[in-house]
Order: sequence, then structure tokens, then C-alpha cells
Amino acid sequence: MRASLPTTWRIAWRNLWRNPRRTTLALAAIGLSVTLVLLYDGILRWEADYIVDTITGPMLGHVQAHAPEWRRTRAMDKTIAGVSRAIDALRRDPDVAGVDARVYAPALAASGEEGFAVMVVGVDMAEATRPSRLLEGLQTPLGGRRVLMGRLLAEQMGVKQGAEVAIVGQGIDGSLANDLFTVAALIDTSVDFVNRQAIVMPLGDARELFAMGDEVHELVIYARDPARAGPLAARLAGAPELAGAEVVDWKTAAPGLNDLVELVSVMWVFVLVLVFVAAAAGVANTALMSTFERTHEFGMLLALGTAPSRIVGMIVVESLALGATGALLGTALGGAVVGWLYYAGFDYAKFTGGGPTSLSAFGVTFTMIIRPRLASIDIVRVVMAVMATAVLASAWPALRAARLQPARALRE
Amino acid sequence: MPIRPVCAAAIVALATVAAPFSPAAPVPQHPSPPDVDAVLARLDDLYRSKSSIARMEIIVTSPRSTRTMRLKAWSRGEDEALIVIEAPPREEGTSTLRVGSNLWNFLPRIARTIRVPPSMMLGSWMGTDFTNDDLVKESSMHKDFTSRIDRRSDTPPGWWISLAVKPGVVGRWARIDILLDDANLPVEERHFDRKGRLARVMTFDETKMLGGRRLPAHMTLTPVDTPGQRTEMRYLELQFDVAIPNDTFSLSRLERGK
Amino acid sequence: MTMVSTKYAARSVGRNLRRTILSIVGIAIGCVLALFMESLNRGRGELFARAGSASGVGHLRIVPDTWRGRRDSRLRLADWRADFAAAQAVPGVASVTARARAQVLLAVGTHVVPVELAGVQPDVEPRTFRYVQAIARGRYLRAGETGALVAGRAIADRLSADLDDEIVATTVGPRGEIQSALFHLVGIVSTGSDDTDMAVCQVALEDLQRLTGFPGAGEVSIVLNDYREIDRVRARLVQSVARGDDVMTLSELAPDVEGHFKQDTAVTRFVSGIILLIVLLGVASAQLAAVLERRREFAVLAALGMSGSKMVWLIVQEALMLGGGGALVAVAAGLPLVWKLAHTGLDFTRYLGGSYAFQGVLFDPVVYGDFGWWIVAYVSAVALGATLLASLYPAWYAARTDPAVALRVAQ
Repeated sequence: MRASLPTTWRIAWRNLWRNPRRTTLALAAIGLSVTLVLLYDGILRWEADYIVDTITGPMLGHVQAHAPEWRRTRAMDKTIAGVSRAIDALRRDPDVAGVDARVYAPALAASGEEGFAVMVVGVDMAEATRPSRLLEGLQTPLGGRRVLMGRLLAEQMGVKQGAEVAIVGQGIDGSLANDLFTVAALIDTSVDFVNRQAIVMPLGDARELFAMGDEVHELVIYARDPARAGPLAARLAGAPELAGAEVVDWKTAAPGLNDLVELVSVMWVFVLVLVFVAAAAGVANTALMSTFERTHEFGMLLALGTAPSRIVGMIVVESLALGATGALLGTALGGAVVGWLYYAGFDYAKFTGGGPTSLSAFGVTFTMIIRPRLASIDIVRVVMAVMATAVLASAWPALRAARLQPARALRE
Repeated sequence: MPIRPVCAAAIVALATVAAPFSPAAPVPQHPSPPDVDAVLARLDDLYRSKSSIARMEIIVTSPRSTRTMRLKAWSRGEDEALIVIEAPPREEGTSTLRVGSNLWNFLPRIARTIRVPPSMMLGSWMGTDFTNDDLVKESSMHKDFTSRIDRRSDTPPGWWISLAVKPGVVGRWARIDILLDDANLPVEERHFDRKGRLARVMTFDETKMLGGRRLPAHMTLTPVDTPGQRTEMRYLELQFDVAIPNDTFSLSRLERGK
Repeated sequence: MTMVSTKYAARSVGRNLRRTILSIVGIAIGCVLALFMESLNRGRGELFARAGSASGVGHLRIVPDTWRGRRDSRLRLADWRADFAAAQAVPGVASVTARARAQVLLAVGTHVVPVELAGVQPDVEPRTFRYVQAIARGRYLRAGETGALVAGRAIADRLSADLDDEIVATTVGPRGEIQSALFHLVGIVSTGSDDTDMAVCQVALEDLQRLTGFPGAGEVSIVLNDYREIDRVRARLVQSVARGDDVMTLSELAPDVEGHFKQDTAVTRFVSGIILLIVLLGVASAQLAAVLERRREFAVLAALGMSGSKMVWLIVQEALMLGGGGALVAVAAGLPLVWKLAHTGLDFTRYLGGSYAFQGVLFDPVVYGDFGWWIVAYVSAVALGATLLASLYPAWYAARTDPAVALRVAQ
């Protein structure tokens, strides 16, 4: 007589808790494995987002717009005109999170008699000081001919904060651009070129210095969803406010960086596979071990007249229940850990005992605060994997046990 | 014809040197082909002398705008030159001094003197179409090119002369076609790059007596590849072999201006 | 009594073969996974060193000692030939190449492009600078020829120049004088990125000397056979280079690359920790499951008079045997695997997406693992450590077994 399914589950659950120590152990093992896998998943997502964010945040942005010839020639007079209208329109776009506007002008700078070749970069200060942007967190008040200088450039020039610097260049109409400025602060940005060569000033000041009107060299657009930078670039290329401009996404603008990001991502996914296999191996080993150790018990049941198929069924259901419960516990714990770390931020530097708190890579600096996050697919994936592993791993010994002669099984 | 510069890189300096120039040749009565060698030798030295003082106007036209500058220039030998901008008013008093390999800019608006680093000496100056080749190099049409008479021109009356660069000469132009009028003064020059493509055209007009010589006072340089772009230079005053006070080419003089 | 417990442990291990094999296999799999991860981690150092050397930076570079403070391309080595010879004399050096650089204006007609021109040694340069290993059009420079120039496609486009065209190069000499020279374009390099194209512009070293008037080379780049020798070679080389010259390592030359490597390593070590924890969990729970099922056995032993501490020792010995067995299997299975990883590497080319351009990346996307004697130590440590740690609770549990349990029929 076949028992109904709910009965089987009730029996399975009761069986589990007949041996609380064993069950607790298995639950702990499975749960902790799941927690660790989720933690890795969370870090993986953070790393991918983070690298893209750090690379695109300061200089590249997600989408860039220029006058058609500007990227090739970097000529001063190749500008996007009528930008204030364009920027307003872009900021109203629902997919756009922010818009920065830039002026790049090569110039001569001198604090004493010696002139140095520099690049004057005019930026929208309100945008550039937002988080993960070029001047993140900068609070130095500017305006009134106060500028920022890259620290390495300042060292080369022998310039300290508060020094007066002359900047000479060519205006967009060919006229001589020259004025005196005060170095309000030395900056260490995450972009090597800025630290080595740039004097950064508010966009308005740069435009005035170089006799520019309502025009800029570069519009840097930040997307709400960085993963959709490509489609956004394609859409904005057709937008009326950017008519005539060349619009590209960051991967087109910096293909080398993109290649690197992809390589690193692929390697991390490979490691995810390793992590999964390790967890599965652990779960399988545990399930196998427990089941084999219960052969005596199965012998008893067989001797008492239980059908072998029911024994197998019971074991499978037990494993399912075990796997599911363990996975759920692990998910709860893992989710909690990831959630806490996401808000608190895991300061890896402190964890490793004062390692580097920020590092440079390919012209960009990374800080070492990890904020993992999870997507539902990560959880579903782990839970499915764990349950499948637990069931498969206990099926074999169960089948074996079921085929045993009761007397032999009893002897084990 | 290369404009003789003396100062390195980004500055127009009206250079000089070489032998004194003899007064203008008489206009021939009938069109017979000129003695090309002699003519070229004379053209090389048309604007040259041991020392010179000039006032000139430079007009740069681009698709965006037209800019006019007026400046005064002193030069002596190959190594010394001083240029002071007189107009537009916004840039009046801005001056550049070259002595030997050193280049300084004086900016009156901010009262600063700045030395220009070598890396910045190679670009074009102030958005003009003059390259540093024009400004600095000692290229000579007479010595660096082999010449032949191409054909007679009727309007304006003159001779087209074709110059082909000699092998081993370093320069941007593989071929230059010059149209000389019957007074053996240049009317037009066409510069061809080393691939044989026409790269730019120079026209000469407003011939008058300047500094005791008869020469075209107005030159227009038009690059072929950039539409709407050209640079014009016009001599307002020109003195050759004039005595220049010794302290002219000094930093203090630079900063005093005028 | 020790001998007896050891014999018992051995026999216990041998008696229940299935349990033993299961344990050993479980331990071995965990160890191999952790080993694989560790090999990859150690191999990352190779990856970034390769990136540095393929990009032309080299593992080491001899530079004028003032170059550290101000990276001026006009600086030249005090005695480049002596430095070159000193570099070649060091054992473990794969290639040595000398270069000089200058800020130059290239011109064809009215088209001008400012570039940093590199004077190189054509026979050695391709070994240290990846982008000239495969020329898109034309050919590379040949040793002994003069007047030839190789440039990136973006440069050629801006100059409107084609193969065999003549290009005028102008620069500022030591005394501030302007000098020019003619070159003809013999090869065009296409890196897949305009910015990188602009950084590729090379002539023969002698040609650059003639053009600029600055004598000699400004840098001597060295690529080693083994990137791990960088610091050792530096220490040695510093003694033998000319006075006025200094030796810099890849880390100092390209702190960007070094920084990324460090950050990546730091996080992957964290992840290694995760994997090890998982392995430990797996081993521990399997062992514990096994022990929990042997309650009757331990109860019998207790009833026979085995003391708690001896029971613990028994469990520990079993664990050691299992761990040792697991370590052996792990080494046997892991060595060939890691060897393959170290020699063939993991090739990620296929996984990098359609937009991946071969020459767009600084290095082949192949990751090589590390192979060495450390493997044995590592595996042993992991296997034995894991099983010992895993046996703590079971040992304590076994020691507390109530002998009366042995007398019960049911659990």
C-alpha cells in the first residue's frame, strides 16, 4: 500500500530528527557551504560592477559625445556647440543619471620662469564631485580663478598649494589666452593622466580663458544602468540634441580597458565554478558518508519487511528535505552576511592588517572596500545545485542498501 | 619661397642673414625666359638681411572667425629676434624673445615672463598656417632644388618655373611651381608634398618699395586640404641692414615692451 | 598502548574500506580544488609580469638616475653600452633591448602629428614590444637599414600617408636648434585602438641619434626568463651599471599594473580562503558523520576500558591516516593537472566575446598556473590540517561515549 506523499514527507522529516546530531551536522555543513558560495557570488557581482564603475566613473563615463573630428585630432576648435540646451535635454532623459561637460586645452603653465606643458581640463564641478567621479568628495571652494593641479604635476613644477600659476594658451579663436590662477588644492585623482599633466578648473572659467562660447569638447553621460551603455549610446546618437555629434559608449572609446575587464570577469566566473564544485563535493561527501553509515539501520527496516523501493524513496526524500532546509538556512545566513557587508562595506585593508587601501591599475585607482550584492539567480542557482547534489549523492548508497540482503546489512 | 625665420618653433620671426641684396633688377622689355639660377638666388634673399626691423599685419581666416594681428619685429643674425604685438588691443604688448636656443614669452596682462620648453616649440604659431619649416629652416630654393622653365604665362604675364627637390634634401616639398612676373618677382607658388599632391598655394601681391627693395608686401598662404582656412601676411614697414641697439634682445627689454 | 591504538586505528581504517575510500576521495577532491585555485593565484603574478614585459616596459629597465624624478624623454644614459653589456651578462636574462625617445613632429605636406618617436634595435625590439610582432601592412624595421619608420595606423591616417611615403620628422636638439630628417614608412601597425596606435612610432636607434643630436640610448629594457627573479636581478645589476644610471623594476615603472595585480591577488586570496573553508566543512562533516555512526563501536571500546584521552588519540591517528592518504591521492591527481595548467594554461580567448580583438589587449588571455615543490607542502598542509581540525569534535564526542550505549540494541 503506497503511503501518500505528505505522509512520506512527514516520515522523512521525523527520520531526520530522530538523529538530531547527525542532522544538525549535515544542516550546518550544507548551510555554511551555501553561505560561503553566496558570499563569493556577492563579491563576484561587486567586483564586476566595481571595476566598471571605477573605470568609467572618473573620466570615461558610460557614453561620450564629441564633435566628429575631435577624438582623432584633439583640435581646439572641434567643439559641440549649443551644449547648454543639449545638457538640459540629456538630464531630463530617464535613462541618464548624470551629464558632465569638459573642455580640454593644451597650454603652458609656469609658477616661476620655467614653462611646463600642461592640459587644462574644464569640468562641471557639481557633476565631477559626485561619488565615484573624478573629484569625488572634493570640498575645496573654487571660482575666482582658483584651480586644482595634479599632484605629480605640481611636484614636477615645484608648486605648492596656494601658489600662483600663470597659464598661457591659445584661445579657440586663435587669440592669446593668458591669466594668473591660484592653486587651491593639489589633487590625487584615480586617473594617472590628470595627476601627471592636468590643471582642473570649473567649466565656466576654462571657457572664459579660452574665449569659448556655449560649447565644449566632450559630453560625458552616465547611464542609470551601466550594463546598457551600448544601447543608450546608440539611442542618443539619434537624439536631436546631439545631432551632428559622434556618440560612443565607453567600450568603443577604450577597447583595451574593456578587454581587460572582460578577461578578469571570465576568470572570476571560472573560479565560481571551482567554488561550486568544492561545495558540491562537500555536500556529496557528507551525504554519501551518512547514508553508508546507516546501512545497519536499513538492514533493520528491510528485515522488518519494508519494501526496498520505499527505503530508497525515503532516503531520497530525506536528502531533499535536508538539502532544502540546509540551503534555506544557508541562504538566510548568506543573505544576511551579504546584506550587512553591503551596507557596512567590508574594508579589506583592515582585514588584512593594513594592506593597501587604494591601488592603481591602468591609470585608475581602486579602493579596497568591498560591498557584495546578490541577485535572485544566484540564490536559485545554489539552492538547486545543493538539492540536486544531496539527492544524487544519497541515491547511490540508498540503492545499494536497498538491494542488500537484510542479514548482511544488519551486520554492518 | 620660405619665409626666413630666425626664432625657433612657434614664433614668426622675420629672420635674415646672408649677403646684402642688390637693388631691383630692371624690368625686361620683352618676354625672354629668365636666368633661373640667378633669379632663384635673388629670391632666396628677397627678404633677407643682416638685421631688420619690420611692422607687419597677420590675418588668419578660419571657418569660425577672422583674426587680425599687427606686430613689430626686430631681428639680427640667425639667433636673435624680438616680436612685440601691437594689435589687437587685448594682446598689445605681448612679446616674444629668442636668443640662441632660448625662447621667452612676455605677457603684459599678467606681467609674467615665461620660458617656452623645447617640447612646445614644434607646433604651428597662433593658429596660423605657417609651419616651423617656414619659420626656422634654412632651406634654399636655389641650392635645394633643380629648376627648369616650364612654360610662359599670359595672365598675369610671366614664367612658370618648376622646382624639383634634390635627392638627400630634407624638406616637406618634393616640388614647387613658381610663377614669376616679368620683373622676376613671385606671383604664386604651389607647394607639392612628397607624394606629389598639391598641399598649399602661396600668392604674392601689392608689390611696392620697402626698405629700398621692390618686393611683394602681401602674401597669402592657403592650405589645400582645409577649406575656409588661410593665413595672410602684409608688411607695413620694413627696414634692412639697420642698426639695432644692443640691448634690444634682452629680457629687460622684453619686459619693458615697445 | 600507543602501538595498540595505532594498530587498531590502522585496522579500523582498513576494515571499513568503503568509508575510508570515501573519506580519502572526499579529502583529495577538496585538496585538488584548493590546489588548483592556489596555482592560479600564484600564476597571476606571471600574468601581470607578462603584461608588463609585452607592453615594452620590460621586467627591469636601466634608466638615467634623474629619470625617476622627471620622466623627460631627452635624458640619456651615462654609458649605455656598458649598461647593455652588464645586462646581457646577468644569467636568466631572456632579452635586452636599448631605446631612445624624442618628442617629434611628423609631417607630410600640411598634415602634422606630434608623436613620441622611439629609436630601437630592430633585431631585439619585437621580443619586448608586442605590437610590432605582427605588422598589419608592410614590414618591420630591419637591422642595419636607415631612414625607415614604422607607425601605428592612426598616425598614418592623420598624416594621410601610405606605405613607402616620405615623412619629415622635426625635433628640437640639445642646443635648442630645430632639426629635421626624412623617413619612409615601411610598416603600419594596427593595435585596434587609436590611442595605442598613436604610441607606436619607431625608427632605428642610430637614426634617432642622428635626428636629435642626443647621443646614445635613454633606456635599456630587460626581459627575464623568470619574472620572479626581478628583485634578485635588480640587486645584482645595480652594482654593475654605469655611475649616473639606475635600475627600475616593473613595479616601479608601471605602478598601475602592479597595483591591479595586488588588488586582484588580495581579493582572490580572500576567495581562496572561502574555498579552503568549504573544503574544511566538507571534510569535517563527512568525518563527523562517520564518527557519529560508530557510537556502538566507541561504546564497546569504552566498555573494554579505553580511556577518553586514548580514544581521542585513536581518532586523531585515524584522521592522520585518512589525511595522509588523501594527501597522497591529491598529489598524485593534482600534480599532472597543475603541470598541465602551468604549461598549457587556461585559454580564455573563446570566452571573451565577439568584440575581442587580438591585438587590442596587451597580453594573450591565457592564464598559466604555477608549478613547483610548494605543491606537495601545500596539499599536505591542507589535507592533514583539514582532517585534524575535522577530527576535533568527533574525538571529543567519542571520548564522551557512554559505555552503556553498547548494551543497547537500538540507537
